[in-house]
Amino acid sequence: MFIRIEKGSSTPISRQIADQIRAQCLSGRVKSGTQIPSVRQLARDLAVNQNTVLRVYEKLTAEKLLDMRHGEGTFVGDELPKHELKAERIRFLDELTQLAQHGRLLGLSATDLHALLDDALAQTQDASAITDGAPRTRNTGDNA
Amino acid sequence: MTSPAIEIRDVHKSFRDKTVLSGLNLTVESGQTFAFLGRNGEGKTTTIQMLMGLLSPDQGTLRVLGRNPQLEPLEVRRTVGYLAEDQTMFGWMTAEEVIRFVAAFYPTWDHSLATRFVEQFDVPLKTKVRHLSKGQNVRLGLLLALAHRPEVVILDDPALGLDPIMRKEFNRDLVEHLQSAGTTVLYSSHLLYEVEPVADVIAILHHGSIVRQSTTDDLREQVKRLILEPEMARRLAGELTVLDSRLSTGEVILTIDNAPDATALLRTQGIAHRLEDLSLDEIFEAFVVGRPDSGLQRPPQSSTVATSV
Repeated sequence: MFIRIEKGSSTPISRQIADQIRAQCLSGRVKSGTQIPSVRQLARDLAVNQNTVLRVYEKLTAEKLLDMRHGEGTFVGDELPKHELKAERIRFLDELTQLAQHGRLLGLSATDLHALLDDALAQTQDASAITDGAPRTRNTGDNA
Repeated sequence: MTSPAIEIRDVHKSFRDKTVLSGLNLTVESGQTFAFLGRNGEGKTTTIQMLMGLLSPDQGTLRVLGRNPQLEPLEVRRTVGYLAEDQTMFGWMTAEEVIRFVAAFYPTWDHSLATRFVEQFDVPLKTKVRHLSKGQNVRLGLLLALAHRPEVVILDDPALGLDPIMRKEFNRDLVEHLQSAGTTVLYSSHLLYEVEPVADVIAILHHGSIVRQSTTDDLREQVKRLILEPEMARRLAGELTVLDSRLSTGEVILTIDNAPDATALLRTQGIAHRLEDLSLDEIFEAFVVGRPDSGLQRPPQSSTVATSV
């Protein structure tokens, strides 16, 4: 498992580590059941605070991406949440990028676009409040 | 709850008519890695020298493992591993001679640990200290600070003069040898991006006192860049903890220290805004050179007209 850290980035170190482990698990580059470096080992390799690594491992364990087995070590989870998740997200990002470009061509500023996205998010929140408990039209992947 | 490893209460210190510290407070809990940040000349070294009993405060109290360094300097120095800023010692001795010489001062000196550090740190034993490179010197200093198995380690700008590779090595030593052993570490630096990977807590010293102390994660969470319309920014100024503000074309660019609260408020009021993450260097800059008011003032032409608020 290869992880690199960019110092001085606006992305916090803990998020950099979590994102890279998550991506490598979901993409299948690191297979389910593979043992990954211990908290101590990864902290040493990256020269990063052990507590930071521990918190990342705990978070990813809660997401079912990792499995911290007491006394044995840390492994990539057996039941990864939705294999197609990553591909779905990449497709979504492409669409979003195209939409943003379209918006810029229509003369919308970055602030306008952010505001529109916020509005859209607010609407999805309202919608989920209304349809709470009722079946969704789109499978959002959280009803496993 | 164990008592804190280091406690500084309302410490004031001046040199002649130059005030260096004015009401410094800080607490380092046992086992923490605590990064003490500030620009050059803000009093980091002065604070550390007071903790080691090398200077006395004009007012206020300091405690290291419950001891007063001004009253029991020898006891404190025996229990604390100390690396002075720009430490150069006994240039005419070889590294090996310095190690033996210093070992004699510490009843708790661990010879086998010292030998292990010599190997791990790659200290050339037969070389005279004045011929060591900067990095070798820091590592020798670190060895001397650690080999007596101190509960508390105080390092004054250990990264100073180290190249990027050696700084990473130093961070690795810190993680591997000190954090895993549960040692309390206070170290000063002016390089935020270097301390972020290893520190549990960071404190920013500015104009004689701590302007901010928190975990790095919390600091990242709270301090963000917020971009708003000027009118909205002025209206909400009272609700925002503003560290820096700048007026750009049609927008006010703020650095705020209460991002979660502020965004919750902006969302409930339906105010258009943009929120961006900052690097730790940008965060540091906002605290030490930020100008909270510059972008929030009314433009000159309207200020003469608008008298009521």
